[in-house]
Amino acid sequence: MQLVLTVNGTTYEVEARPTARLLDVLRDQLGLTGTKEGCAEGECGACTVIVDGRAVDSCMMLAVQARGKEILTVEGLAQDGELDVLQQKFVEYGAVQCGYCTPGMLMSAKALLMGNPVPSEQDIRVALAGNLCRCTGYTAIVAAVKAASGQDTRPLMEMPVEPGELAAEAVTDPDTLAAACGIVEAETGQPPGGPCSSGGSSEMLGFHSAPEGGE
Amino acid sequence: MTQTQVLTPASLEELVAALAQATPQTRLLAGGTDLVRELRRPVREPDLLVDLTGLAALSEVRLEEGMLHIGALATFTELQWHPLVREHALCLSLAAAQVGSTQIRNAGTIGGNAANASACADGVTALTALGAVVITVDGAGERRTQSLDDVVLGPGRTSLRYDEAILEFAFPPLDAGHRSAFAKIGSRTAVSVARLSVALVVRFDADAGVLSEARVALGAVGERAFRASELEAKLVGRAADDETARLFADGCVAAVEASIPGRYSLPYKRHAAVGLAYDAWNMLALSAPSEPAWT
Ligand SMILES: Cc1cc2nc3c(=O)[nH]c(=O)nc-3n(C[C@H](O)[C@H](O)[C@H](O)COP(=O)(O)OP(=O)(O)OC[C@H]3O[C@@H](n4cnc5c(N)ncnc54)[C@H](O)[C@@H]3O)c2cc1C
Ligand code: FES
Ligand code: FES
Repeated sequence: MQLVLTVNGTTYEVEARPTARLLDVLRDQLGLTGTKEGCAEGECGACTVIVDGRAVDSCMMLAVQARGKEILTVEGLAQDGELDVLQQKFVEYGAVQCGYCTPGMLMSAKALLMGNPVPSEQDIRVALAGNLCRCTGYTAIVAAVKAASGQDTRPLMEMPVEPGELAAEAVTDPDTLAAACGIVEAETGQPPGGPCSSGGSSEMLGFHSAPEGGE
Repeated sequence: MTQTQVLTPASLEELVAALAQATPQTRLLAGGTDLVRELRRPVREPDLLVDLTGLAALSEVRLEEGMLHIGALATFTELQWHPLVREHALCLSLAAAQVGSTQIRNAGTIGGNAANASACADGVTALTALGAVVITVDGAGERRTQSLDDVVLGPGRTSLRYDEAILEFAFPPLDAGHRSAFAKIGSRTAVSVARLSVALVVRFDADAGVLSEARVALGAVGERAFRASELEAKLVGRAADDETARLFADGCVAAVEASIPGRYSLPYKRHAAVGLAYDAWNMLALSAPSEPAWT
C-alpha cells in the first residue's frame, strides 16, 4: 500500500506491505539505517525513534500507524553538518563503544530533553531504562546526557582532563587508537607479542585459526 | 494471497463501520506492543487490521456521572501522569509507571493490556482492585457493559468477539478518604513482566481509627488477576498498625499459595511475596500525605 511519511521534516511516499513495521520502512525503504534492529521485541531500544515528540520502539509500531505524524530518527539530529549537543557529548564522554545502542540511546535522550530540559540523574536513568548497552556500563551515557543538558556531571564522572580533550586526542592520534584497540603495542607500534597472541591483529579481533593438531 | 487491508477509523461511527467488516481473521491494533510481534509470524495473515490509534477521543480520561472513565486508547504514559488518575485511581497510575520502559509506556494502551489478557498485565491488576467495568461496542453498533472478570477470562482468553472493541473502562473514583498502592516483583526493575503484583485500595475511617474498606488484587500468579476476598474481609475493622500490616502480608502469601498450590512454598518466594506486600502497604502511608493518622 501507498504510505506518506514525514521523517526528519522530509515527506516521503513509499510503497509498503500493510504489516511492515516502521523500522522496516525506515531502514529498507528509506535507507535510514541509523536506526538499528536488535531484539525485535521491544526489549533493547536499539530501534528507538521519536514519533510526535515521544520515544517509541520502531519495531513495535506498524508504518501505517505513523502516517500523519512527525518522525524523528538519529539522522535528523545533526543540523547543517553540526552534531546535536547530545551527539557531541556522547563523543566527548566516551559514551560510544561498539555504537550499536547509540542511535537508540540518542533518541531516548533527545525525547527526554525535549520534554524535560534539565533532567535529574534519576529522570535520565528512567528515560534510558528501555535501552540496553552491552559495552559502556551506562555511566558515561548518563554523564553525557547530563552534560548535554548543561549540568555538572560530577561525581558521576571525574574527568582527568577537560571532556573533549580525550576524544580529540583519541581521534587525532592513530597510534593511541590502535593501541587502545589492542591491535598494536603503544611503545613498539607492532602487533603485541606474548603467549596468547602470536598471530597478530586478526587474532586480536577474534578470528582464531584452527587449533594445532586439527585437520 | 490477498493483502491485509488497513482501516484507521477516526470517529465512533467509522469504528462501528470498520467492525462491521470484521471476520475471525481480523485483528484490532492499538499500541502494537503485544500484537506487532505476533504479526511477524502470524498463524494466518489478517484480512483486516483495524488501527484504533486514530480514535483520539478513546484516549480520554474523564469524570462523568460519578464514575471515572478511562479510554481504552489511553497509554501508560498518559495514565501515569493524568491528574484525574493520580487523584482518583492512584494504583492505576503507579501500575502504569511500572510497565516496561519509557518506549513501551508511550505506545502501550490500557485497552490492549486487557484485551491481550496476559496473567501479568499490570493495568488489569489495578483495574481489578478498582472494580472496573468494561464498555465495548461491536459491528452492529451495540454497546455492552460487563465486569472486567467477565471479559478477561484467562491467559490470552477474553470474551471479546472478533467484531467487538473495548471503548473504555469505568469505576467509582477513589476519594480523599481512600488510599491506594501498586507494587510488583519482576526479574529486574525495568522492562520486566511481573512475577507477582499487588494492587491495594483501602479506606481509612479516621474518626473510628480503623479501615472501613479494603480491596486487594493479586496479579501474575493465577490464570488472571483476582481479588483476595478472604483477606479483604479480615482487614476491615482493623487499625492501620504494624499488626495489620503483618496480617496483610501473611494474607497475601496465603492467597498466592492458594492460587498456585506448591509454587510459592519455596522459602525465597515466600520472602519475596512478603516483601512485596510490605512495599505496597508502606506506600499507603505516602499515598495521602495530607491525611493524618496513619501509623
Ligand atoms: C518489552 C515489553 C515490556 C512489557 N512490560 C509490560 C509490563 O511491565 N506490564 C504489562 O502489563 N505489560 C507489559 N508488556 C505488554 C504490553 O505492553 C501491554 O500488554 C500493553 O498494554 C498492550 O497494549 P497495546 O496497545 O500495545 O496492544 P496491542 O499490541 O495493539 O494489542 C494487544 C491485543 O489487544 C487487542 N486490542 C488492543 N486494543 C483493543 C481494544 N480497544 N479493544 C479490543 N481489543 C483490543 C489487539 O487486537 C491484540 O490482540 C510489555 C511488552 C513489551 C514488548
Ligand atoms: S529492536 Fe526494537 S526494542 Fe529491540
Ligand atoms: S556501545 Fe556497544 S552496545 Fe552500547
